[in-house]
Amino acid sequence: MPSLQHVVKDLLASGAVEVVIGYEKAPGQNRTRPFFARTPEDADRLVFDFSALNNLAVYLTRQKRPAKGKIGIVAKGCDARAITMLMQEQQLTRDDVHVIGMECSGVTAEMGADLSKDTLAAKCVTCKVQTPPLADTLVEGPKDYERPDDRNGARMRELEAMTPEQRFAFWAGEFDRCVRCYACRQACPMCYCEQCVAEKNQPQWIETSATLRGNIAWNVIRAFHLGGRCVGCNECERACPADIPLGLLNRKLGMVAGQEFGYAAGMDASAPTLVGTWDKSDRQEYIK
Amino acid sequence: MKMPTSTWNPKIVAFVCNWCTYTGADLAGTSRLKQEPNARLIRVPCTGRIDPVFVIKAFESGADGVLISGCHPADCHYNTGNYHARRRWTLFHNLLDFVGIDSSRLHFSWVSASEGKKWVTVVDGVIDEIRARGPFERYQKANSEFALPPALFEAAAKEVQQHA
Amino acid sequence: MEEKHITGEHLTAFASGLLEKGYILISEAPDGTGFTAVKDGASVNMNTAARPTKASFKQQVFPKTEPVFHFHKTVDDVLLFDPLPHTQKTVVFGARPCDAKSISIMRKVFNWDYKDEFFNARADNTVVIGTLCKYSDETCFCTSVGLSPSSTDGSDLFLVPLDDGGYAVKVVTEKGQQFVSENPALFGEAKAGADAVAATHPGPAQKFDAAQVRTWISQNFDHPHWAELGQTCLGCAQCAFSCPVCHCFDIVDEPDSFLEGRRMKNWDACQGGMFTKHASGHNPRDDQGKRYRQRVSHKFSYYPERFGEILCTGCGRCTRGCVVGVDIGEIAAGIAGLA
Repeated sequence: MPSLQHVVKDLLASGAVEVVIGYEKAPGQNRTRPFFARTPEDADRLVFDFSALNNLAVYLTRQKRPAKGKIGIVAKGCDARAITMLMQEQQLTRDDVHVIGMECSGVTAEMGADLSKDTLAAKCVTCKVQTPPLADTLVEGPKDYERPDDRNGARMRELEAMTPEQRFAFWAGEFDRCVRCYACRQACPMCYCEQCVAEKNQPQWIETSATLRGNIAWNVIRAFHLGGRCVGCNECERACPADIPLGLLNRKLGMVAGQEFGYAAGMDASAPTLVGTWDKSDRQEYIK
Repeated sequence: MKMPTSTWNPKIVAFVCNWCTYTGADLAGTSRLKQEPNARLIRVPCTGRIDPVFVIKAFESGADGVLISGCHPADCHYNTGNYHARRRWTLFHNLLDFVGIDSSRLHFSWVSASEGKKWVTVVDGVIDEIRARGPFERYQKANSEFALPPALFEAAAKEVQQHA
Repeated sequence: MEEKHITGEHLTAFASGLLEKGYILISEAPDGTGFTAVKDGASVNMNTAARPTKASFKQQVFPKTEPVFHFHKTVDDVLLFDPLPHTQKTVVFGARPCDAKSISIMRKVFNWDYKDEFFNARADNTVVIGTLCKYSDETCFCTSVGLSPSSTDGSDLFLVPLDDGGYAVKVVTEKGQQFVSENPALFGEAKAGADAVAATHPGPAQKFDAAQVRTWISQNFDHPHWAELGQTCLGCAQCAFSCPVCHCFDIVDEPDSFLEGRRMKNWDACQGGMFTKHASGHNPRDDQGKRYRQRVSHKFSYYPERFGEILCTGCGRCTRGCVVGVDIGEIAAGIAGLA
């Protein structure tokens, strides 16, 4: 079974790809960070373990691509779904990338921690893609891990059981902390618009100031624009300097997509996008 | 400058498509059907044109409720605009419900050009429901976070009247 | 510097007394998000062994958004209304040295040529009670930018927790002196031991020599190293928004209707692509490498050059929060290595 370093070395040496986007260990620290391997020697710096938190697919969006030619990318299951989704939305063709799929046994919620049941990232608790659904080369590895209770699921049920007034109060309290840095957007592989709706000012739809009014508008619209597109990598929540539980909003829309349309984002590169298509039999009980 | 009013009447913003619901509402008018006057109609070419930011903007501008209405399925002037819109609405109204803007504040309907009567029923129903629920205070509180401080409001209002 | 002693109970009584006098007390929120107002003296958070909160108390003196004026259009005129001046007195309780220092750093730029009355009103009404920091991790580097876990710089009063459960109180400024004078029953004679406690918390090892970094930056504007630094940065700007001393802002008109609205002063950050974009579409900092050069240069070269202060307190927030692991301490150390 070829190792990650071996695979990357071959790809770079043969010229099959121009660069490989992967992870390297941050010196002296218990964490990894994105790394662009450009020469076969660079391949030795690549690592993959429970601290490979980043969804590297964000570097495949047009503005952030590290090379013009073919790109190799190290991808966990969730990252591979983002790559697939980019293909579904015609942002990438299958030939633009060489996906090095990594079998994954979970990553930690935060940088620096060791992996345990308590430090496991929320997205890994309900993960169904330990083996990436899309890969040109698959690097096998451990893919079993102990899963704690679904804390976020319990939190969602708690929120859903509240009255609308209580839910609004909860989210107003969360959104109130938003500083409008747009880190959520920048960290998201699906937020690739050349100009974001938040930055349009003729007319200006979303208030720029970090007032509660503007923050509600921004956070609701950000979540909506990811409806049926979010693959649940949760990078937005991890990037948020205000600790707003954005993942819950994304998960809610993911659930609606699943329940109402039997749809999961980024599982099939040839499938149409959820809101890019329609069906005569779509449910409509709520329409008078 | 907004003056405080003593009697409250709900403000409803209705986004309606040009081909069906707007024409249906027009029919209600020319047929002299009686309806409550609280809905402000905004005519758009097609329900597919309705971006959810319109709804947010309506609430930001002080709407107590929003109604979205267009052609029945299979009736769209552009063939599929309402089918696309329907998918988006399913996501959007679930999301809004999740953040505490429940279905009593956001309504959807299909009203064709010949359904003047249905339009009256829908609008009156929406207005009744929102009247029963009262003003959308929790959103309007967010809107007025940085309003002119009350201590300055009266002086400002006076000055504005002088210039009027 | 005068030194006093206060017991744990007296500290609570002191805090409660301030609340009764109408002060707002803010301290690190237990959930780690930022500084929040406390309701009673006993809830003041003095635990500095925990990780610093994600946000500093910058918002206290420089809010993320605030109205500069309100406007109203009439038939033939535009009327402007000033917001009410900020007069609420606030005490920041238990600030670590890397946070306490922030006001005095930002005060320089906000009073350089134009006097920013919004900042000054808030800063003048804020009293900072600093405290010895017991936390340190691989992202901290206060010792490399002229601070330390026991540095009193920027605090009005500085507390060092002693083994007896009380605190040594260092009276740093007039504002601090006033608090002590107003409460003669609470502040007792100084007890020995503060230096010994401070010695057990030396803080992180020094990572770089700031003077070397400054020199190298001033001579290497076009060095290829800058482009490398910008490679993985996503331009999310959380670094600037969580920084205790980043102070760039944007001015935006927010209309409520066609007739009225307000002009707002909002946080902005040099890491975003829109920051330097001209109306023509031209952008002098058109890639992330140039933007990252600006961030590092402003902090370690331009600001010290103009104001004599490094625009960084070594708190480590930018590094801790960075999704792609960009480490400004490591970068500064790397630059010092090139010098």
